[in-house]
Amino acid sequence: MALEFNETLIAFDLQAKNAKEVIDFLAKRMCAQGLVTAEYAAQTWAREQHHPTGLPTRPFCIAFPHADAEGVHRSALGVAVLRQPVTFQNMADPDEGLEVSIVFMLANRDPEEQIHTLRNLAELFGQPEKLVEMREQSTLQEVESWLRRELRLG
Amino acid sequence: MGKLIVVACGAGINTSTIAEDSIRERMAKEGFTDVEVKRILMADIEGYLTRTDLVMIVSMMKIFRTFDVPVIQGMPFLIGSQTEKDVLLDKIVDVVKKV
Repeated sequence: MALEFNETLIAFDLQAKNAKEVIDFLAKRMCAQGLVTAEYAAQTWAREQHHPTGLPTRPFCIAFPHADAEGVHRSALGVAVLRQPVTFQNMADPDEGLEVSIVFMLANRDPEEQIHTLRNLAELFGQPEKLVEMREQSTLQEVESWLRRELRLG
Repeated sequence: MGKLIVVACGAGINTSTIAEDSIRERMAKEGFTDVEVKRILMADIEGYLTRTDLVMIVSMMKIFRTFDVPVIQGMPFLIGSQTEKDVLLDKIVDVVKKV
């Protein structure tokens, strides 16, 4: 199960005004590499309205926006480390806004694969020191190699 | 009769799987062979509430209502530390042992 992950799917120190801008940015990068359809950004944003993906991780929140497999040509992981947090709604309580500092955007061909990726991500979500370590990487290349190592992406 | 634990989440595919994995693993470790752990959509919960084998609900969503069986909030399975996960698993084991 190959998961596409490369430098151009990472946004480092991204300045975004809101969650939609982050999703649009990452989806565009995915689309430019032929990994998802042009509609993936809109589909992900639409899903986020009904089933938000913000999580109250510590010491800062994260989100893992995604849409259904229909818009995905090849599975991929997009990541944005934000300069300032943007608001995503809490998955466990859609009425609650969370200030999110890192966004992991998923594109998956099949649900099994998505679960596999999520399992690896969840290991990071439960370790505040890991999230801090990730945010403290100082270049885009460092973020990429750090994630490859931590998520065992090879 | 078997014992049913439902793990409910909002969108139904992903996050509840993480909780389901942890609970299944612990149930096996405890040697509870009569416990069924089932992932469901929160929207489908009504259909399970009438089941006489239902012993517990693990909800990935915040809970704004009461149920006749014990309910725990399962978010720590996704974002909690190992200690927090173990606390939840211990609670589940307690409930299963009591019924």
